[in-house]
Formats: sequence, structure tokens, C-alpha cells
Amino acid sequence: MSLAADRWPAYAEREAAVRKPAGGTLVVWRVELMKLAGKILVRGMTVLAVIGPFMVVEFLNLQSATPGDTPFGQWVHTSGFAIPMTILGFGAQWILPAITAVVAGDIYSADDHFGTWKTILTRSRSRGELFAGKFLAAVTFAVFMLLLLTVTDLIAGLLPGREPVVGLGGQLVPAGHATWLVLASYLSDLPPLLGFTALAVLLSVASRNSVVGIGGTVAIAVLFQIVTLANMPEWGQQALLSTPFMAWHGFWTAPAFYGPFLWGLVTCGAWFAVCGLAAWLVFRRRTIGAAS
Amino acid sequence: MRTARTTVLAAAAAALALLATGCSNSSNLTPGRLQASLGSTFANLYMLQQSEMGNPPVRTASLHSDASCQKGGTVTVPQEGSGVWLCEITYLPAGPQYPVIAKYNVDVQTDGCYAADGDGPASVNGSPTITGPGYKQIINPLSLIDGCFDTT
Repeated sequence: MSLAADRWPAYAEREAAVRKPAGGTLVVWRVELMKLAGKILVRGMTVLAVIGPFMVVEFLNLQSATPGDTPFGQWVHTSGFAIPMTILGFGAQWILPAITAVVAGDIYSADDHFGTWKTILTRSRSRGELFAGKFLAAVTFAVFMLLLLTVTDLIAGLLPGREPVVGLGGQLVPAGHATWLVLASYLSDLPPLLGFTALAVLLSVASRNSVVGIGGTVAIAVLFQIVTLANMPEWGQQALLSTPFMAWHGFWTAPAFYGPFLWGLVTCGAWFAVCGLAAWLVFRRRTIGAAS
Repeated sequence: MRTARTTVLAAAAAALALLATGCSNSSNLTPGRLQASLGSTFANLYMLQQSEMGNPPVRTASLHSDASCQKGGTVTVPQEGSGVWLCEITYLPAGPQYPVIAKYNVDVQTDGCYAADGDGPASVNGSPTITGPGYKQIINPLSLIDGCFDTT
């Protein structure tokens, strides 16, 4: 059987609009979350996000040398607040895109791999509801992992001590304010993380291949990280999706500056919208089940 | 599939255009921004160093710290952008009212963050540790300075 791109989905969407406008998306979202919760890789990453930060702290405690080439690195033995910030400064640009790519880069192409599009598209959910539900599930996973890492990194850092930490303006930041700055810094990585989620979704949809969806996203993240090392005009630097991962630097100076963060919101919003829209356009017009 | 290809092509074209213009435009990583940031960061850390050594408190304003930075190499090197800068910070310590000059090798990243490595005088920023009250060895905050400035 072949589902032509134009006829069937339009009919199904009209039906869905008459019955329940948003309910279908939520049903797909719940099913996708259930599927995610059962995946070994997702479970493994969740466990790693919980115990990983404590392993990093143990590793740092075992040696007297400090990771001096990362901001806050030289203070990891002096203040607990330096530990989550060292982890963020070291890994945000490639760990976070990799985490979201594992789910977002696979959530559409897995159905290509298993040949299950025909099955799920002949249920009572429209193409739009399926797309939105899967997208929402990928976003949910990204947000969940970032919040989890925020909490575990902060707790792992604070176990050794709550001494004031030296900020990036040379000022001493007291414990209370430092806690807020750590939380704000981690949350400021949410916009670029969602940008990479949309990018992984686009690759997953367009390529129908999880290797491209996951590996391509990680490769692009690494490529961006290398490109940011080159001297570029400021707008070029700010247009890259990996630059906003480092916008939190400004939170820690004295006085603080928020220009890169605000630019990052615009950049990430644009990437998110363009990649999400492109993914939907490809997905909507696709003929599923035809001989390839 | 055609839409996807168009999208990818458009993105690649945009990236290329971006890189092409990249070589000609001027940078926001200017000596002025670096000097302002390094000068005030040094003042804050000098205050911290003095208090950790158990010396009388210093006010950052009375230090009058002033940074002056040049990009290394030949005279033709453009004075902007990432790379290694050589900075001298002039300040007035408490007591004798003659200026002291602290030198730093500053590695400036493209995102406006820098790592300034102390290059003398040895008693100020040369040693990675300092001796606090009770002969306790602590990190010398002036030995390696991490700082950032706004590039937008």
C-alpha cells in the first residue's frame, strides 16, 4: 500500500481538527516518552548524568593538579562552586548537543529503520500530530537532561564545600549569589540546546537515517566549536549555534554583561524555527510506503 | 527530499558567505576592551591577594590600576583579535607612592575570555602559591587571571 503525500494526510488532519485539536499531539507525546523510558541508551545516559558529576569530583580530588586552561579550573580545590562551572565550561559545547542528538536524531528515523511509519500513520493520529508529538518528546528529553545535570553538578560541587568563589571579574562571589549564578549559567544553555534539538530533528527527518541524525549533529557541533576559534566578525560569531553555550561567562564578571546571552536568544530562536519548520515541510510532503 | 537539499544548500551558502566576509571585517576584540577588563579584574584580585596574605585591606580605587596591552610579534600585527597579547598593569601599592608594573602574557579567546599568565615581578604574580597567615600555602590569585569582556 502506498500513502500519497497529499491526499491522505489532508483528510486525516481535517478529521483530527473536527474531533480534538491538541489531544492527539499529547497522546503521541506520551507514547514517545514511554518508548524513550524503555530505551537502554536513554536509561544509561540518565544514570550517567546522576553519577557522572560525582565521579568527576572524585577524579579531581585524587590529583593535586587543576584543569587550569578552563575558566574556574584553578579554583576547583578551593570552592565547590568552581566544579559545576568547570564542567560546564569544558563540556557544554559538545556534551549537550550529543545528549540531545541521541534522542532527537533518532526519534523520526527509527520509524524508517523499523519500517513502522505505515503502521503508525494508519492509526487515528494525523501526520501533524505525530510530528508535533515526537518533536515535543525530543524537547522534553533535552530539558529533562539539562535540569538533571544542573542539579547533580551543583550537588556534586557543593559536597566538598560552600566557600566563596572568585568570579571572572576577580571579585569574590559569596555562596548564596554563586548558587544563583550556577543555576542561571546552566539554564542559559537551554536555548542553544533546543536549537541543536531542532537541528537533530531536521537531520533525522531529512536523512531517514539515525546515523546521520545523531552523528551529523555531533559532527556539526564539533565543527562549530572549531569555527568559533577563528577570528570572525562579531555577527558571524554570534550567528553560530554553539556560541550561546558560553554566554554565561558574562554573568560572572563585575559588572555582569548580558549582550551575548540576548544575542544567543535571537540566534537560537532563528535556528530552532528554521530547522523545525524545514523538518516539518520535509515530513509533510514525504510519500511514505512508496517503492524507494 | 528536495526541500531538505535546498535547506542544506542554503545553509552551506550562508556559512561560506559568512567565512568569506570574516577575513575583511574588524573585530570587537580591541585593546580598549581588554585593558578595561584586565585592569579592574587585576585590582579585585590584588585586593583578594592582600587580604589572603593578612595585609591591611586595600581599596581598589586607591590602587589606580591601569592596563596597557599590545599584540605580540612584529609592528605590522593588527592590534585586535584573539591570540597572545602582552599586557603591563601599572598600579600604586599602599605605602610607597611609586608605581609598580606587573607583566602578563594574555591568551585572548574569540569569545572575549582570556587567561592572563603572570610574568613578573616574581613577588607579585610570579609564583603560583603565596604564603598566608600561619605559613599556609594558598593559590596566588594574581598568578593566573581568568577574565571575560563583552564582545557584542
